[in-house]
Amino acid sequence: MKNFYRKVAFGLGPDDNAPSDPLKWASNQLNEIPEYSWKGKILPEKELRGYYREWVYGDRKVLRKKFKNDKDGYKREKNKLRHETGQKFWWNLELCIRHSEAIKSEYPVLAKLWYFWGNHFAISEKDFLAQYTTGAYQREIIRANMNQNFEKMAQEATKGWSMIHHLDNEQNIGPKSQSAKWAREKGKKRGVNENHARELLELHTVSPNCGYSQEDVIQMAYIMSGWRPEWGKKRLETGDVHFDPDAHQPGSKIVLGKKYKSGRKGLSNAITDLVNHPSCREFIAMKLCRYLITDNPTKEMMEPIIKAWEKSDGFLPEVHKAAIEVAFNYSDKYNKFQNPENWLLQMSKMSDVDLIPTPKLMDLYALGQKPTNGQRSSEHLLRELGHHPYLAKQPNGWSDISDDWMSPELLIRRLVYAKEAYYRKSGKSQTPEFYEEMIQKNYDNPNEILQILNQHKELVHKHVILFNLPETLKS
Amino acid sequence: MKISRRNFLKGSATTLFLAGFNFPVLASTGKKKNLVIIMLRGGMDGLCAVPIIGDKNFEKRRKDLILDKTIKLNSDFALHPKLKNFHNLWQNNLGAIVHATNIPYTKRSHFDGQNLMETGGHIPYSIKTGWLGRGMKLAELKGDGLALALPMPLLLRGIPSNDNFYPSKKRLPRTELLQLLKSIYADKSEHELANMMEIIANRSMMNNGGTSMSRKNSSLALKAGLELKKINGPRVAVFEVDGFDTHAAQGGVNGSHSDSLIEMDSIFKSLEKGLGSEIENTLVLTLTEFGRTIEQNGGRGTEHGYGSAIFMAGGLLKKSQVYSDWPGLKKKELFEGRDLNSTIDARSVYASAMSTVFDIEFKRLQKEVFWGDKLVNLSDKLFKS
Repeated sequence: MKNFYRKVAFGLGPDDNAPSDPLKWASNQLNEIPEYSWKGKILPEKELRGYYREWVYGDRKVLRKKFKNDKDGYKREKNKLRHETGQKFWWNLELCIRHSEAIKSEYPVLAKLWYFWGNHFAISEKDFLAQYTTGAYQREIIRANMNQNFEKMAQEATKGWSMIHHLDNEQNIGPKSQSAKWAREKGKKRGVNENHARELLELHTVSPNCGYSQEDVIQMAYIMSGWRPEWGKKRLETGDVHFDPDAHQPGSKIVLGKKYKSGRKGLSNAITDLVNHPSCREFIAMKLCRYLITDNPTKEMMEPIIKAWEKSDGFLPEVHKAAIEVAFNYSDKYNKFQNPENWLLQMSKMSDVDLIPTPKLMDLYALGQKPTNGQRSSEHLLRELGHHPYLAKQPNGWSDISDDWMSPELLIRRLVYAKEAYYRKSGKSQTPEFYEEMIQKNYDNPNEILQILNQHKELVHKHVILFNLPETLKS
Repeated sequence: MKISRRNFLKGSATTLFLAGFNFPVLASTGKKKNLVIIMLRGGMDGLCAVPIIGDKNFEKRRKDLILDKTIKLNSDFALHPKLKNFHNLWQNNLGAIVHATNIPYTKRSHFDGQNLMETGGHIPYSIKTGWLGRGMKLAELKGDGLALALPMPLLLRGIPSNDNFYPSKKRLPRTELLQLLKSIYADKSEHELANMMEIIANRSMMNNGGTSMSRKNSSLALKAGLELKKINGPRVAVFEVDGFDTHAAQGGVNGSHSDSLIEMDSIFKSLEKGLGSEIENTLVLTLTEFGRTIEQNGGRGTEHGYGSAIFMAGGLLKKSQVYSDWPGLKKKELFEGRDLNSTIDARSVYASAMSTVFDIEFKRLQKEVFWGDKLVNLSDKLFKS
């Protein structure tokens, strides 16, 4: 049962007492969205997008022209611009905020689910979104909606600037729209871009299991046509998202047999129908089980989550509680292979590793500076582990399937960084007694584990073994 | 043993019979052959790497990007002067080029294009496996892939148990510790973890205590060459080279596009060195998402285009040649009036290469890896049978 603390959160830290009612302990973390435990600066998405704007405008419109004959000069000035717009700093700050919720807050269960939703509505590696806005998007649109209905999260994620830009909806122009006509007069072709529409169906809501057709995808794209950032000469693609009727495909559309009128309201209405489709709740229940419990969820696992969804109209705290309860009920039977980031956070929390740079260190940063290695440690570590949460390669996010995380190099990283982490611990946690207590608190077979560890004398080796035991790799 | 097992499985009835006598199976089914794919990310400019000779349209449209001192390959095409290693291969009949080719993707997004170059599909993100992984699955090459990268590239997805190599900057723990973990994994029936730990423990011994190795592609390629050379080593390797997206200061011989081409060239050199005589049984191919516009832009760079080129190397090539159905560079011959057209579906080249290296009928690859798309079998034209 003790793996439950690691399954739904990151284990129990040195200051945590084992809860008398673990399920209640976990469920109580899911009702509200607390203040961040990070005490340093936190910037709004809009401000960060402003730095992104300066970067794209400066590079694309100024430097490329100015240094057209000077490769080295271009590189040098581009680097300067990177630092003037904080390109290497912001995502490290976001990682501090993110990781504090796992390690330092009273709400680690909420944090683990936050990561799930951030990955469900993934912004994958595109342009420089990760460096500037992905973290903020995950705060303002994902986390902020974790005490709302799923629909609200889906509506806001879909119409959020990050997702619209990430999935190219700005290029989605109704072929019969006014904009397309104007473009044709200038000899240019404009038409539908299905990317966002397809992912809305496939990845974000109903999934291919609902049986939509290619025609449904196109019709959905027509509904979404015109949702784009407001264009400006200096803003380029970074303006707020609005509905541009000139780019919208006229006429009614039909998705999954339902008719939608032309215009602004079409998208909201379509999302309402998608999130209420039975395939949507089944898909999300499956994904929650896959994230928390096993690669191959069973119908029995998914059922209580689907029921909670139906009863509460997709109210996320209720859906989360149901998922946590299922995870609890199956905790003895199933262990889930933990992705590198979750593994790192468990190790840090349980064994008191000083993982997160301090607010003081991060607040020392000023625009124009090159951030120090200390300020960039989170980014480096996650990249080395092969799992930077803002750098998923594809819109389906990072995989929750064990096989995708099994490779020699990825396991080497866990060996190597377990060792590194040991040296980031305070002296008081570098004692055999500390480990004994931690193992008693977090594992169901403490004696067996201690016996294994006793084969090695040095504490650092015990540490490396413990965090690479199957009991730790899988929770 | 792995190899004999595999050949046993896919061998003909004769092989099956012989295998019973414990013959070295490779001897009966032929040599071990290797396939290496180098992914060139950002859109490789085929016309910078392999410029056409004496085309006024070309010279007019990118007058600031024309290269000096190119290496003449034949009467029509030249080679970028910095591609010295490739030129050596060419001179020894170990280098060839397919020109005016690309995957069938024309929308000019890196993001979608790179997805499609790896999946081999038509709709971005609709396919979750790579064409190479699917081809290997068809050839039953489980455990035979090696990625020289940390996250496993999508290109190799579709078959489990691939290896990867991208050296950690830190030292591995000592061997006893690895052995202990391996035995724990075995005791707890964690077979996959135990297998991985076996590979890691062997690797740590090879690396003299795990001192950190360079992550430069030239070093990785040397390592990969040595691994591919081994009879029971991997048969497929995948590299990544970034930086081809040169919107500005693409420049001439010393421009930024050259830097990425030089990196690609260093892979050819190191692979050849590592493989030694086994270069004869190897095929190396490049892969990119699209080419670049003919016209230079205001920043003396180029924009995203369509047709590009494929570099090929290795002893399984038929001969040194620029294989192309050249579409021409007059305005009306260009794709959408701006890009070199693609007259050969690049997937025809990749399917033909897999057919040659994996000894699988082209039609099966076409049907099972590329959904029966209209591809042309170029094996006889490009590769030795």
